[in-house]
Formats: sequence, C-alpha cells, structure tokens
Amino acid sequence: MEHRVDLLKLSDLSFRYRSDEGYILDEISLSINRGECHCINGPTGSGKSTLLNVLIGTLSRPFEGELVVSEGVTLGLVMQDPNAQFIRQSIGAEVAFALENLAVPSELMLEKVQGALRRVGLFVSLDRSIQSLSLGQKYRLMIAAQLVFHPDILLLDEPWAQLDDSGVCELISVLKGLKDEGVAIVLVEHNPSVFGNVVDTFWQLDQGKLTQGCFMPEPIHFAYSQKALVGESYIQIDPLVFRFANHDPLFTCSERLQLYSGEIVALVGDNGTGKSSLLKSLAGMQPHIPPLPIQVLARQPKLGIYGGELGLLFQRPNRQLFEISVLEELRFSLKRFGLPLDNADRVLDEMGLQHLSEHSPHLLSYGQQHLVALASVSVYQPKVLLLDDPFAGLDHLYTCRVWQQLVALSQQGTAILLTSHRMLPHTPVTRYWRLNNGELLGEGQAADTVNVG
Amino acid sequence: MNKRMHFSLQDALFIGFCATLLVALKSMLRLKLGLSGHSMFLMTFFYLICYGVVGRLGAITACGLLSGVVAMILSIGKGGPLILVKFALPALAMDLSLIVLLGLFTLRWRCITVGLVGCLAWAVKGWVEDLLLGMTMQVALVQFGLSMLKGGAFTVLAASLVPPVLERLRSHDLLGDNLKSKGKI
Amino acid sequence: MWAKGGKHGFGASEKLATRKSGRLRAYVTAISLLLVLVLSSSAFFVSDTYLPVLCIFSGILVLHGLLLRGNISVIGRVFMVQLVITMSLYYLLHGQSQMAQGMIVVLRILLAFIPGWWLSVSTTPEKIAQVLTWVLPAKWAFVIGASIGLLPFMTRELREIYQVQCLRGARITPKALRDPRNWQELMTCVVFPLLIQLLKLSRQMAIAAQLRYYGKTNKPTHWQE
Repeated sequence: MEHRVDLLKLSDLSFRYRSDEGYILDEISLSINRGECHCINGPTGSGKSTLLNVLIGTLSRPFEGELVVSEGVTLGLVMQDPNAQFIRQSIGAEVAFALENLAVPSELMLEKVQGALRRVGLFVSLDRSIQSLSLGQKYRLMIAAQLVFHPDILLLDEPWAQLDDSGVCELISVLKGLKDEGVAIVLVEHNPSVFGNVVDTFWQLDQGKLTQGCFMPEPIHFAYSQKALVGESYIQIDPLVFRFANHDPLFTCSERLQLYSGEIVALVGDNGTGKSSLLKSLAGMQPHIPPLPIQVLARQPKLGIYGGELGLLFQRPNRQLFEISVLEELRFSLKRFGLPLDNADRVLDEMGLQHLSEHSPHLLSYGQQHLVALASVSVYQPKVLLLDDPFAGLDHLYTCRVWQQLVALSQQGTAILLTSHRMLPHTPVTRYWRLNNGELLGEGQAADTVNVG
Repeated sequence: MNKRMHFSLQDALFIGFCATLLVALKSMLRLKLGLSGHSMFLMTFFYLICYGVVGRLGAITACGLLSGVVAMILSIGKGGPLILVKFALPALAMDLSLIVLLGLFTLRWRCITVGLVGCLAWAVKGWVEDLLLGMTMQVALVQFGLSMLKGGAFTVLAASLVPPVLERLRSHDLLGDNLKSKGKI
Repeated sequence: MWAKGGKHGFGASEKLATRKSGRLRAYVTAISLLLVLVLSSSAFFVSDTYLPVLCIFSGILVLHGLLLRGNISVIGRVFMVQLVITMSLYYLLHGQSQMAQGMIVVLRILLAFIPGWWLSVSTTPEKIAQVLTWVLPAKWAFVIGASIGLLPFMTRELREIYQVQCLRGARITPKALRDPRNWQELMTCVVFPLLIQLLKLSRQMAIAAQLRYYGKTNKPTHWQE
C-alpha cells in the first residue's frame, strides 16, 4: 500500500560550500523507492561525497531546495575504508553496536545479530576477532552492522575500489538479496558497469547536474612503444618462501623474477595475498620477516640506503603531503638529495599542475593530491619506483594522468612495479607478476596488447 | 570526565586517539631510551596538541585522564590504578594554568609556560611520593631538582615544537569547519 | 593487542555457561584492581612496623606471578635502578650513617611496584577494560574502546608515513634523530600529516557511530560477549 510513497525525495536541491563559490550541487532531483538500486557516478570532485553528505544529513551549511524523508525511514551507510570504521573488536559486538544504542534488551540481541550476519552470508563465530576477516568479509560485516537496525535505505561509498573481484561478487549477491527484501540501495561509484546486474537506475553527476545514464569511460590511448627487455636488471627475486616470523608461509616463489629498467610490471593478486608486504620488503621496510634472497639495485634492501634511487607510493598517497605549497612539496626531496630545484617546475609543467604550484597541497581534491604525491616522487627520477595500488579511488581522468606520468618515467629508464587486485587490460603494463594460491609467478609479456595511438 | 566536559563526539575521539598514541609511544620509547623525564616530552606534546586542536579548556584534563585509563588497560609490566595520577595530575595543572594564562603571551610562550607548570606538577608529585616513602628531605629535594631539570628540558623542547604544527594546521584551514565540511570521508 | 582469536561453539547452554564464568572473572579482576590500589598505596602510607606484613603479601603476589610465568626481570631491573640511584644519593648526602633508611626507601618503592606488575601478569587488557566500563561514563568508555581498537591502524599509519618520508630523503632516520635539530623535521613531515589523518579519522568515526544511533539513548544496553 505504501508503494507510491517515496522513501526519500530530493527536489531541485542546490548546495555550495561558500557563498562566493559556484554550486557543487545544482538543482538536482532524485527519488528513491523500496527495493530500488540507484548508482551515482561522476568524476572526482563532481560532488558525489557532498551528495552523500546531503543524504545522511552531515552538511555543515544549509542547502536550497527540498529534501523529504518519509516518516520513520532510516539510513545505513558503509564508508570507503572498512578498516577505519570498526568500533568494536569482535564480530558480534560490532554488529550489536546499533542495538545497544537503541536500548534493545541484551537477551534479544543474539537473534538479531545472527539474523543480520545471515543476510550478508557471513557464517562465522560471533566471538571471532574482526581483524581475522578478509577485506571482503569485513565489508559485508559493515553491511550487517547496518542491516541489524533494518535501514530502509543502504548507502555504499565506492565499494569497487576497495574490493577484489571475489569480494565484488559476494557483495553483488548480497545486494540482490537485499533488493528482494525491499531495501533501497544507493551506490556511489566510479566504476558503475560492474554493478550492472543489480542497478536499476544509473545517474551521472557532472558539474553539479544529476542526469540519468551510465557514463562509460573511453579506453585509454597512449603513444607508447613497448620495449624489449634490454635494460639493466634493477630488481632480482630468487626462489623464496615469504613468511612472517612465527607464521605459516604467505606465498612461495619458485623461479627467478627480474625487473628491468624501463618496464612497467603489475603485481596482481587478491586482497591479503601479500602484495603490499612484498612491495615493502623490496623497499626494505617490512618488519618481522627473515632475510630474503632479494636484490634491489644490487643490494639487500634496507630502508634509507638508496637515497634518490628508489621511490615508493603507498595507498592513499595524500598522507605524505606536508609542505606549505605544491611547489615546496616537490622541492623537498630535491633539496634533501642535492638535486637541481628546477626539476620541480619541469615536472609540474609535464603533469599539467603548474597552475597549482602555489596552492596548499592540503586543500586539493583527492585526485589532485594523488598527482602531487606522484609528482613529488617523479621529480627525482628514481631508478626503481614501487606503487601500492596506485589507481584506487581515482576516476578515469586521473587514472589516465597517472598512467601518463608512469609512461614518461619508464621512458626515462625507471623500472616500475605496481600492485593491483585485478588485471589492467588496455594499459601500458608490459608484464604481469601473479600472486595466486600462495604462489608468485612471472608471466612474460602481457597478454593484452597495448593500444598504440 | 566530570559533567561539564561536553565535547563533541569527534573532539572526544580525537582526544582519545592522542591519549592512546601517547601511551603506546611511551611504552615503545621506554624500552629504547630508558631515560626518565622523556614521558614529560610526550605528555606535554600530546596535551598541548589536544588543547590547540580542540581549542577548549578541559581538553588537556580529558586527555590526561584518558591516557591514565588507557595506560591502566594496556600497560605492560607496570600497571595499577596509581598510573592514573601520573598522567592526570600534570594535565590538570596545565588546564588550571591555562585559565590564568588564557590570552597572555604568544602561543609559543604560552605553550612553554603551561608545559612547565605541568612539569612542576609532575616533579612535585614525585617529591611528595619520595617523602611519603620515607626519604630524607635532602635526598627528596635532590631527586625533585633532577626531575625538574630533566623533565623541564624535555618539556621545553616539546612545547616549542607544538606551535609550528598548530599554526600549520590552522594556516591550511585544517582545523574547524573546513575539514568538517570539505574533508573527504 | 586487544582482541584475541575467538572460541567456537554456538550451543545455547554452553553460551550461558561461558557468560556466567565471564562475569565471575570480571568480578575477580575488579577485586584485583582494588587489591592492587590498596597494596600500592600502603607502600607509601604504612609505618615501618607493618612493612613485613606488606612484604609477605608482595611475596605471595610475586610467587603467583611467577607461577603464571610472569617476567620477573622487570622487578629486578626496577630494584637495581632504584638501588643505584637512591643509595648513591644517600651516600653522597648523608654518608654511611643512613644507608639503612635508604634501603627501606628502596624496599617501599619495590612494594609499590610489585602489585602493578602482578596485575599485568594475572589479567588481560580486555578484562580490565570490562571492569572500567562499569565505572566510566558511557561516552568515555566508548571513546577508549574505539581508540584502543584503532591503535593498530594508527601505528600502521604512523609507521608508513615515517617510512615514506625516509625514502623521500627526510632527515628522520634514527641516526639523524640523535641531533635534536632534526626533531623539527620529524614534526613537520611525520607528526603533522599524522595529525591530519587523526582529524579525518575522528570525524569519520563520529559520523559512522552517530549513523548507528550512538548517543540516541542515555541508557544503552550491552552486548554480552
């Protein structure tokens, strides 16, 4: 009987952060009904986060237009990084958190908690520690922690970037089940096509306007000649068993792997297979592992011995920004390594960041910060560049700009090793290393051909 | 932790994070340095950061009490309820001195003065303990002097490192509403 | 550090039994905390005549701690450090005449220390936290639980920022930090970005908790482990 009533409705809603700025949301309208799945996508900085803040009511300033939430409608939100939103340590306590706050009597909790976990397909002991779960399981746990209070609308912020393919599959089947139960779902996502099976309506948010339709990124084109493996070998990994002290082996490698100058190698494996740990070991910064038969630039890796010859970017590289301006951020390493400061201006030019040179790096968008962090490493032209999941959280445009810079570096002779939890077709990757079922394998030439344009 | 300490949940969590890091770093450094007085460095630093970021009287005391409780929960090899006093007393002294000093001096000198008041409270606590333990006045006074000297040096060092960090946060609009509204979740 | 691997077993009666014994253990922890408070304070306040009684109590605690495989060398180290510092001060200021009084002081320091050591050996952070939630205001209990839970996340954040700045050439290697002039660099390129992350994290956690009805009621109920 409630069929015709919208759970939530936005009519001509506009918002801006400062009255002297343009509108970040410009007269947008959207209505959400029971059992519907909406997917909102758009480039970085298009206002997706702002829209999310509107929906959950955490904006610091008033908006224009109308937001109507039907009486009694409740919302659940799963944010991007599951690791940074757990409140408790054990699975049962985490799911029960909302029940505690709703003053549900203790003796009724167990059944509700088990019910919520069943709905996301998590069949694990309630006393188990959250840290022992895989990332995909953690994500579903976060959903269960919302489902326990029966939200009418479930909001998910960019699940694809966090999850590997198996995690995405699990998520999709959970979402299908929820839709059938009448839960409305709103996905905010860079890569909407993956969720094609569940989504009813695709929305595109661009320049403040919300329009229906799925934005399909064009394939990336690069002027890039594939190099033969003639360069110098910069990294050599001999057969090894990789394990943390007092733990079972994480993975083994039974062949010799080499990384040559001018190559871009992608290390691909699911979450938790040990990609990041291997990368850290190559930079000599992974604690709790016995010495490994690894040579980087002809030396046993150790933090601090390579100076300007080795560069590394962790996930969320915006964490490393600290200077007062973008230019100073780039100059920092040049000063420390005694290199000419002009390099900074040159790299800013190359990467199209010159107009930001005097900006504070802390007030840029996530994509811009990402580029600045990459620029701050490119600026000293390291011989080896390691990147941990360098495209996470970036939209198509910024992904392209990162690729452009990586290609430029490799053409100057930098050997690049990057990790990813899925294959990267139609990109300038020259080879893959695979981490599968506890085995690290080299694969020779990339199977996918590179577009030469 | 009295009724008047109504911090927003975000501020309360920030204070909690600082307190937890303070305790964790202290237990890490104790193994490496084995130098008494360094705890004043960490305490002064994190307490003043809390004051600067939260920008309210009571933030330091809250951080001190939380640190004490966290230390009680986590402390390895040295626990017990008395550790609460060790963290909370300097914090309380610092907050009380802020009532007097509010708006006086530049941020830098205010930080150093407040820090030294905290250090004094810490040293006095040691002195009273020593007397209770039955030490002679001379020995207790020498101990007090040594604490003041070592702790004071660490305090001044920490307190002079805080203002540049706070000014940097402020100049980039990272404190207050800007981060709250624009910051990427 | 805080959460340990869980047990399996879903049977209702089993569950009830573990809950009962869990509550019992929490009472034991509460009594231990009080005992430690009384014993530690006594080391400061009792007169010399009663010290032997306190020694007997502490002796029992040490024996119990040893039975639980506590690391006794911690006590040994405290004893040695206090012995050297206090006794040398007594010798310098008072000559040999008051060495006995000095020894009593060292003994009292040790007596104040032992109960805390025993507590850390005989109980776990989880149990202490559980007891503290009885007395702490709900908000601060929540803040402490969340902070300790996020400690691994925060230390990883700190370590990664530190390492990446080392690679960028910052003068913050352990060797460079022996020079206090470089401490400023540690502040600007490690502590400053870390604080930015903590600010973001606190905002994110606050929103996440409030969306899950945190603060909705003054009398939240409790999940029974």
